Amino acid sequence: MAGPEHSLYRQVILEHARQPRNAERVEPHSHVAEAVNALCGDEAEVTLRLENERIAAIGARVRGCVISQAAASLMTEAVRGLPLAQAARLGGVFRQAIEQGETGALPPELIPLAPLIEVRKHRSRIRCALLAWEAIETMAGETAPGG
Amino acid sequence: MSDNTENTSNAENPYRGDFPILAREINGHPLSYLDNAATTQKPRAVIDALVRFYEHHNANVHRGVHTLSEEASSLYEEARAKVAAFIGASAAEVIFTRGATESLNMVALGFARGLLRPGDEVLLTEMEHHSNLVPWQEAARETGAVTRFARITDSGTLELEDFAAQLNERTRLVALTHASNVLGTLNPVAELTAMAHKVGAVVVVDAAQTAPKGLVDVAALDCDFLAFSGHKMYGPTGIGVLYGKAALLERMTPAFTGGGMIAKVDKERASWGEVPRRFEPGTPPIAGAVALGAAVDYLQGVGPAELRRREAGLTAYALEALDAAEDVTVFGPPAGDHRTGVISFNLRGVHPHDVAEVLDETGVAVRAGHHCCQVLMQRLEVPGVVRASLGLYNSREDVERLLAGLNRVREVFGVSGVSGGEAARRGRA
Ligand SMILES: Cc1ncc(COP(=O)(O)O)c(C=O)c1O
Repeated sequence: MAGPEHSLYRQVILEHARQPRNAERVEPHSHVAEAVNALCGDEAEVTLRLENERIAAIGARVRGCVISQAAASLMTEAVRGLPLAQAARLGGVFRQAIEQGETGALPPELIPLAPLIEVRKHRSRIRCALLAWEAIETMAGETAPGG
Repeated sequence: MSDNTENTSNAENPYRGDFPILAREINGHPLSYLDNAATTQKPRAVIDALVRFYEHHNANVHRGVHTLSEEASSLYEEARAKVAAFIGASAAEVIFTRGATESLNMVALGFARGLLRPGDEVLLTEMEHHSNLVPWQEAARETGAVTRFARITDSGTLELEDFAAQLNERTRLVALTHASNVLGTLNPVAELTAMAHKVGAVVVVDAAQTAPKGLVDVAALDCDFLAFSGHKMYGPTGIGVLYGKAALLERMTPAFTGGGMIAKVDKERASWGEVPRRFEPGTPPIAGAVALGAAVDYLQGVGPAELRRREAGLTAYALEALDAAEDVTVFGPPAGDHRTGVISFNLRGVHPHDVAEVLDETGVAVRAGHHCCQVLMQRLEVPGVVRASLGLYNSREDVERLLAGLNRVREVFGVSGVSGGEAARRGRA
């Protein structure tokens, strides 16, 4: 359709959903976690390998809608190279940005995810944008005592 | 197929004007409300009944001698009588609950747990709503009984031979839906009940999807318990019904206890009051019950035959159009007497939620997901489906707007409706 971009399904989101980055399972991996959206049954499985305490490889396999797939793809690109705890913190910042609808002060790693902030106008889709991040938070929570 | 021309446009639908909410615009478009299986909209008569109750008659029931309390009690009991007449029961067999879910849980807690012994079987079907599945699973777990599931065919009907084969002398309870909230399938409940009774099983029917169609006649179905919700039959939320045969209600234990349901209470114990009051502890949803009575009056005014005729015509029209689209897979039986106007489908290459999201932008309200039927989704091998479900205010215009909306979905996601691909309808060549 020629015309203005769709407000929620921006080209960049559609493109990530069509060709998700890092959509393969990481083998061998040091961490794995799943997240399920109980409302719709959509699932994300995230695997990653830490090397020198940083995310050296990450994979997100998603069975879900365009938003959950694109969000997972963008997430994998945003967190690669970061320590796990920092990745989880970034997820928290992203969650807050969606809940408060703020795109102004996004940290540089999250700027590519800015188009997803639009989901705040679609209550039922917020979980979709956060699904893969929940897996990261789970992993970080499991290893939290050590830092 | 234009036998019922009055179904053509919303302007010509004689009932649409009775529903104030349908005048709303959604995202700059008129509203095509196709989520009636989730909840229906309310006619002015029902809204007025709620307002009238609170403005003129509000008081607690069965407690006071003052005028208002007597009026409220009479209205509450009149509503019970209307509901009873609507389903072919006697008033003493109609218990007001908060909805179908509560009704089913009351039977699971107060009847099934006393009935089931280790090794006993509960027969369900693969098309049950979680509300008619999880309570039985829990009752079975508590008692050591096992749940079994009668299979469905690829076209979404119950496999009758399998149902028959799974019934045996250990089957103590059969719980099944009158009509599927996903497939639209109407189950031959009278026939199935007779089969279940032959092995001595008690039959519980989930009529949440058939009460709004005027399809429930408990005498004809001969089931032992039957549950439905007011809000799916043009009545308010927070009110529902449990029907039970008088003799079985006498045997049922109250799942909830408290004020209003007792005969006598002393420090050690209490004895129960009469049925149905025994199963309505605390202050019931009085205004809701009265307004449900108004919804029943409204449906009786339209008439069950007219309800079915309209819906059948429109369902056939919608199914024909969806079947014609090569990238649409419809789940459920073909048009005809054995289905309701609940139509579930998927559009190839697009997740159900993304379909529903874009349809909403065009003012078309449908629902997407597992519809509280995860066992059915596993059977269909899909994570979810898009569901368009018809109500009495829908017309061809709504179906056409759904079809146009699907074109918009194809545009947004860059999938085409004319490229080659698999068969359009499951289970049919
Ligand atoms: C077939 C069926 N059974 C049970 C229910 C539960 O109804 P309620 O949520 O009103 O208790 C529904 C509605 O969601 C339904 O469609």
